[in-house]
Amino acid sequence: MSQTNDTPAMLAINNLECSRGDRTLFRQLSYSINAGQCLHIVGANGSGKTTLLRSVAGLVYSPKGKIQWQGENIQSNPSYQSTMIYLGHSEGLKNELTSVENLEFYSCLDGHSDQSHVDGDLAQMGILECADLTANKLSFGQRRRLAFARLLHSKAKLWILDEPFTGIDDAGRALIETICVEHLDAQGMILLTNHRTLSQSRLAPSLAVLDLMDFQSSLDHS
Amino acid sequence: MAQNTFYLFARREWQLLFRNTSALVQPLCFFIIIALMFPLSLPAENELLTRIGGGVIWVSAVLATLLGLESMFRSDYHDGALEQWLISPRSLPLAMLGKVFAHWSCTGLLLALFAPLLCMTFRIPPDQIWVLFLGLMLGTPSLSLIGAIGAALTVTLHRGGVLLAIIILPLFIPILIFGAGMVTQQAIGGSTASQLYALAAILVLALTLSPFAIAAALRTTIN
Repeated sequence: MSQTNDTPAMLAINNLECSRGDRTLFRQLSYSINAGQCLHIVGANGSGKTTLLRSVAGLVYSPKGKIQWQGENIQSNPSYQSTMIYLGHSEGLKNELTSVENLEFYSCLDGHSDQSHVDGDLAQMGILECADLTANKLSFGQRRRLAFARLLHSKAKLWILDEPFTGIDDAGRALIETICVEHLDAQGMILLTNHRTLSQSRLAPSLAVLDLMDFQSSLDHS
Repeated sequence: MAQNTFYLFARREWQLLFRNTSALVQPLCFFIIIALMFPLSLPAENELLTRIGGGVIWVSAVLATLLGLESMFRSDYHDGALEQWLISPRSLPLAMLGKVFAHWSCTGLLLALFAPLLCMTFRIPPDQIWVLFLGLMLGTPSLSLIGAIGAALTVTLHRGGVLLAIIILPLFIPILIFGAGMVTQQAIGGSTASQLYALAAILVLALTLSPFAIAAALRTTIN
């Protein structure tokens, strides 16, 4: 699939300003991402990484600045929500439900009519033996793996991942990197935060880095 | 076609309620205990209990519904599920209607079904039991729907229970007046039609408007 240069960027952030309470986190943030790109957002604790991700996911609305998907504001673009998946710090798993039931619910929510892939997804994430355990019996790492199983059959083009490698062992990390690389190869886009550099990871070839500290310097002078 | 949003959320809520039986049993036990305290504490005059019985059962039902409402969105907020609904392509009002319907079927419906049993301790005559049951069947869905708006507004608060009661109880008063009034009317031999219509009208209003209000309340509180 070839992309011409004059089509609007898939995801464009224009002059975005976000604040938490009275404190402005960053301002005049502009960036655009095209198909096949992975954007790594870096910054100190409290610099607004999660707020930026939540803004792009449409959970936080910032009156200043614009976030556009294929040239249209995300708030006024009803198809945006079906092209985007956001995995935050809390996985959204129900403790009372088993791994299979949790995954089936999200698979339905994402619009899949066929649930036969669920067992295969759990196997691919290495948690098939937990399929019939309720989520409160899973370890932290297993919960993360279960949350990521949702990505395997997702039709979403844009993945927004907040600290995807937290609490995950080396094997799990390699697994998630593989899934992400496959997604990028299929012209997907990823927006993620991570505290360690990803330049040694398999994502490196399509990686761009956005440092939120660069958009804070203007705050000190004002 | 993927599963219907209403059914998807209703089924999930049922699954959760039946795994977590305390949420199912608590409002019901609370309802029975409150209602039973009146026959135990009031003077043993049969006629007095019969006269106040309908009202007492209605007040107990309102308080028991309130108890169940507090936890309606709490765990979904804490484990991040709520965020996922907000950004999903599914219709949030329809999803919330499904959730509230499942919630009502495990609280309000159960209360209405148990109310006739309680009526016996108040020695309420059968014709009034029937009217009370009908009133509860029409009134409790409205209580759940309107109460869910308050639950959505207070979900992020640490101790939202008291605030929820202050916001929601005044809105429950019309339902209480018509519901309890129906039993009184039946007792004095009057027509219960006007109260019945009023309860039905409130239910239609709650069914059509509150799903949108719940969705809007969730969107504003989760920010």
